[in-house]
Amino acid sequence: MDFLEFVNFYIVPGLVLGSIYALGAVGITLVFAILRYAHLAHGDMATLGAFVAFAAVTLAGVPLYAALPIAMVATALVAVGIDRLFYDYLRERPRIVTVMASLGVALMVRSVVQVIWGVDAETYTRGIVRPENWWGIRLKDREIATVLTMIGLVLCLQLFLMKTKWGKAMRAMSDNPNLALLSGVDNAKVVFVTWMIVGGLCAAAGFFLGLNTELKSMMGWQMLLPMFAAAILGGVGRIEGAVIGGLVVGVVEEVSVMFLPSEYKAATAFAILLVMLIVRPTGLLRGKVL
Amino acid sequence: MKKVHLAFAATLLGATAMAAPAHADVKIGLLAGVSGPIAPMAPPMIDAAQLAVQQVNEQGGILDGQKLVTVVGDSACNPQNATDAATKAVNIEGVIAIVGPYCSGAVLAAANSVTVPAGITMITPSGTSPEISRLDDKDLVYRTVPSDDFQGRALARTLLERGTDRVAVAYLNNDYGKGLAEAFKSEFEERGGEITAFAAHEDGKASYRSDLAELAAGGADTLVIFDYGDGAGLTMLRQALENGFFENFVGGDGMKSDAPIKALGAENLTTFTASSPVGETSQALELFNEVFKAAGGDPDAIFVTTSYDATFLAALAIEKAGGDKTKVAEALRSVSDGRGEVILPGEWRKAKELIAAGTDIDYEGAAGDHDFDERGDVPGAYALFKVEDGAFVVDAEMK
Repeated sequence: MDFLEFVNFYIVPGLVLGSIYALGAVGITLVFAILRYAHLAHGDMATLGAFVAFAAVTLAGVPLYAALPIAMVATALVAVGIDRLFYDYLRERPRIVTVMASLGVALMVRSVVQVIWGVDAETYTRGIVRPENWWGIRLKDREIATVLTMIGLVLCLQLFLMKTKWGKAMRAMSDNPNLALLSGVDNAKVVFVTWMIVGGLCAAAGFFLGLNTELKSMMGWQMLLPMFAAAILGGVGRIEGAVIGGLVVGVVEEVSVMFLPSEYKAATAFAILLVMLIVRPTGLLRGKVL
Repeated sequence: MKKVHLAFAATLLGATAMAAPAHADVKIGLLAGVSGPIAPMAPPMIDAAQLAVQQVNEQGGILDGQKLVTVVGDSACNPQNATDAATKAVNIEGVIAIVGPYCSGAVLAAANSVTVPAGITMITPSGTSPEISRLDDKDLVYRTVPSDDFQGRALARTLLERGTDRVAVAYLNNDYGKGLAEAFKSEFEERGGEITAFAAHEDGKASYRSDLAELAAGGADTLVIFDYGDGAGLTMLRQALENGFFENFVGGDGMKSDAPIKALGAENLTTFTASSPVGETSQALELFNEVFKAAGGDPDAIFVTTSYDATFLAALAIEKAGGDKTKVAEALRSVSDGRGEVILPGEWRKAKELIAAGTDIDYEGAAGDHDFDERGDVPGAYALFKVEDGAFVVDAEMK
């Protein structure tokens, strides 16, 4: 196998897949850092976002990429609503209760998707798109869009966290919620802003997953494990860590096929998660220890 | 004190027994893969099963004029859901027989952990894995669809006849994919074909490009995919087409789904063929097609004939067994053993009268005669389908 083949069939798909994982992992890491629990409905919220975009494209005739912001806003609002309805009420209870509640929310969201859109595989656009050749490297425009949008969204998020008042409040709450409360940070508003961002990122992850493959009602749930692996690999609470983690998990999954029988591909994310928790529980970039 | 409780409980029991109507409904479980990778196949299959039930109820009902009702459960094409759904059907709903589940892994799990221990007869209309034949089932598991052992071998012979002697094989890592792939492989290699790559994959991944690159490395230009056309098979087909890994694609019955046509476009599927069981042309099949079409169904949809037959057979067996669930399996063999007065699809009234008179009957179904062998299997006929004008049409009969 020559170098170009390796890049085209292992590294490029790995990076595209990794970008999708990264979008999910950033959301997971934010919930972990600020609200301090594992959010198991993350994958199914991504599915919801993907199908909202699908509805925008097929029913309202919105151009493909314009459906992304619509889906992000809609899913963000749903995320805030879910928080108000289910998680807020459990805030003072042990965290594990909220984690289990999020599993229930995951099943509910998935069922809603199945009731509204059915269980058939759908696509944003009919037909196939062949990649273009960029000096030997074969890329599709949607793959470039996936990676660039991921980088763009993460940069915006970083700027927001560093420069704005609410971003600083979120970081303060992540560092020490009691101290943040005493310093006058309004926890309820921080939670609201967090869910807006997390919901939007979920929708983006779902949209790009659907764009690069198909839309299925189980698509988000099946991405949950690699996304968690990416968040923990990068270091819980570290945005840039989640991005690196996502890309690493994506590339390792694809490259693993060269060394392992392909049925073990899905297990690679598990292996990464395990090894990381044993060897370096803080993650690559020294995040929180769970 | 204890006695008072017992007496109270007994009164309650008596009360419920009296409250129940004199003719309770007769329930059969319909464990359908409503969600999961074969979800799009399920609705027509359920419709076909309901058609059989409707005919039974319109033509005098079952046993003493009771109503036959189906309890639909979602087996979701996976072992856990199938076990849950079967447990609910058997223990809570109290079904007498089960039609389904639809997927092989689901059949194996539900049979092993629920229906065989409970002594309930199960007839699957679409669980095709050779593993089901090998199940230690106390003669309680049957199928109206032929084993993939036949399909895999027939497909191998057909490909070789057409001059395709080098292929790469990708199969879904479950009982269905594995069973089919292994049957294909053994026949293909025995007859001098060469398999350049043989690899399993998991369902639900977003990218199979590295898998495809490994498969293509052997140099074959035909990829045989044993997967579901609405699951990973579709993703794989798309990525193989987009990246030009292979020229020709061949699928098993799971790939004969409308999803690839809908998602990828018929114009991109000119080199795609899929094998699938077909009903042998018979009077029974025509009869079924006519009635099912009139009821608004599509008789060409996959597994509708087997689904109808499984349900009708279950009803016949229950009638013959007099509603005794322990005798259903034995009765099932006797109503379809090739001896006795022929019963065609929909002839419930005739069958009921003959059973009442003690005459032997032999059901000849839409999908075949269903003369079960000792493992509860039926032989089958297959055809290779290609995509033309946005639908699957028969390309060649398979021997």
